[in-house]
Amino acid sequence: MSAPVHVVVVYQSLLGIYGDQGNAAVLRRRLQWRGVDCTVTFAEPGVPLPDDAQIYLLGGGEDGAQVAAVRELLADGGLHRAVDRGAAVLAVCAGYQIMGRSFTVGHDDRTVDGLGLLDVTTTRAQTRAVGEILTQWEGHDGDEAWLTGFENHGGRTVLGPTAAPLARVVHGVGNCGDGTEGAVAGSVIGTYPHGPVLVRNPALADHVLRLGTGLDLEPLDVPGLAELRAERLAAVRAS
Amino acid sequence: MSRAGRGLRLRLATLAGSLAQWASRAAGRGSGTSIRGRLIMKVDPGALGKLLTGRRTVLVSGTNGKTTTTHFLGAALSQWSQRQAPPPGVVTNADGANLHHGLASALSAAPKAQFAALETDERVVPDAIRLGHPEVVVMLNFSRDQLDRNHEIKRLARDWRDALVEAVEAGPVVVANVNEPLIVWAAQSARKVVWVDTESVWTADAVLCPECGTVLSRTEPGEAGDGGEGGEGGDWSCSDCGLAQPEASWLVRGTAIVGPEGDRWEADLGVPGRFNIANAACALAGAVEMGLAAEPALVAMRSVRAPAGRFAVTEIAGVSARLILAKNPAGWAESLPLAASEPIVLAVSSEAADGRDISWLWDVDYEQLAGRPVIAAGPRAWDLSVRLAHAEVDHRCIPDLAAALAAAGPASPDQPVDVVCTYTCFQSLRRIGGLS
Repeated sequence: MSAPVHVVVVYQSLLGIYGDQGNAAVLRRRLQWRGVDCTVTFAEPGVPLPDDAQIYLLGGGEDGAQVAAVRELLADGGLHRAVDRGAAVLAVCAGYQIMGRSFTVGHDDRTVDGLGLLDVTTTRAQTRAVGEILTQWEGHDGDEAWLTGFENHGGRTVLGPTAAPLARVVHGVGNCGDGTEGAVAGSVIGTYPHGPVLVRNPALADHVLRLGTGLDLEPLDVPGLAELRAERLAAVRAS
Repeated sequence: MSRAGRGLRLRLATLAGSLAQWASRAAGRGSGTSIRGRLIMKVDPGALGKLLTGRRTVLVSGTNGKTTTTHFLGAALSQWSQRQAPPPGVVTNADGANLHHGLASALSAAPKAQFAALETDERVVPDAIRLGHPEVVVMLNFSRDQLDRNHEIKRLARDWRDALVEAVEAGPVVVANVNEPLIVWAAQSARKVVWVDTESVWTADAVLCPECGTVLSRTEPGEAGDGGEGGEGGDWSCSDCGLAQPEASWLVRGTAIVGPEGDRWEADLGVPGRFNIANAACALAGAVEMGLAAEPALVAMRSVRAPAGRFAVTEIAGVSARLILAKNPAGWAESLPLAASEPIVLAVSSEAADGRDISWLWDVDYEQLAGRPVIAAGPRAWDLSVRLAHAEVDHRCIPDLAAALAAAGPASPDQPVDVVCTYTCFQSLRRIGGLS
């Protein structure tokens, strides 16, 4: 039997205030329920980040936590090594912003250098984007192309030439009001929605699993998920 | 405007509020306290300051425990007042209406009461300090809650801190929970602080030093090692700027409260849960700062049973139900272990008062319910159902609240079904159960 798939939650204490650790729970169960072992490590600042995992997850957090996370991750270097050898990364909201070239924090909109793993730049938006968001996943169709979530961010994220949008906005704000949401470069995905996003969008969860592991995954039926997706899509379309 | 003119305006505002309340009640639209407060503030925008002036006031704020702590203080002050001749009188917003107009509504209904115990929304605390010159402010805790509205809890703490700095020597005595770094940072600037070690163990919302942004160091719970009096919560400190957990004069130790002179009382409260012992310790410290004797104050606090419906047992769809409120991950961590019935009903919602984003479900340890029968209910029952499926908790999903309770029965008042629920579900169930 092969070694378990290793998923690392990067700094839950700093980038975990919006329930995004649910993305790890979903990846673990979607493997286990198909008979594949999975280990989830909650890596914290001050301890070397495991650099042998297949998938890394970052979530949302406050300004001060973003600055602390960047400082720790740059000093550690493990995430950069993992991306270099093709590990998958899903970075949500504040985690998405720090993956970029730079972002702004604090009352005085101080610019902070990011990790430089995605070609995006984030500045302060005039108004905060808060609410249900519905997008269409680039390159996908049918029901799985609808990506549903809840966005809550004060950033305007602009994509550079070497990043492609993850999705097109149907309802909500997304990156900066230009109709794009999220960013993709190689095996790195950045996106704004919580929900958590992999809970509400199982096709995206399986996509991240395939990106990280190369496994061939059979369809999986999770009770209640069809009802939840139908309800969320109806709610956003009615608003 | 002259002093007499100011008083006249407040009298007019109160009259208008009373009329609106009467009309609202006559129309069968509930108690009318909200419309009363709104109208008073509209007719006299300075009403809140005027209504507070001249009273001896204690404010209670924080993310969790405000309502129960205010009920504790209200009970202690009321019983004390009744023993005075003549009784000075106590006003409190027992219903939990804690914004500007809620405070104004409660105060205007008791113009002669010399004492006020007021639950105060976190956002209203700075105004209440500036306008009302409270004698004591009880600061309980800060945790993430309604993040769609309060994006950064540090900002609330900064506003409290600024209001205390501005008030300087005219400011209140602050009763503050040492286990909460943000509370300590906000309270530090008060002219006098009474520190309470509540032994609270929820640390997930206080990772960074509020002063300098460094990751805080923590000793493990029970590691403190000073002859058994070390708290279970573990101490915190910042290795960079030196901000650290202050030494407390009031302590929670297990089921007991220890006072500054070393007196030890079993809490023996009428409401369950460790967090309510923490709330009672803070209330008791506040009562003593208001001039009350500790022992009779605690005796009075023991009479609090179902503050604004919390832990009330009522009949819903023919089934006896005990209502347990849990608004955020910190609240669920405390409330979920109290639920003992089979099955347990969990009900969740995402109205404005709950926070529109329900992602926090994934920060609650529902895994502890594995092996027990559960019913998922409320407007966001499907989110909860999927969360429970990933926790491998067998459950039924019945979104309609009354139908969920009907399915959970039968149950009698001595063995009610425990319903742990978010705020809007809690209020709906109180209405269905005839409690409000």
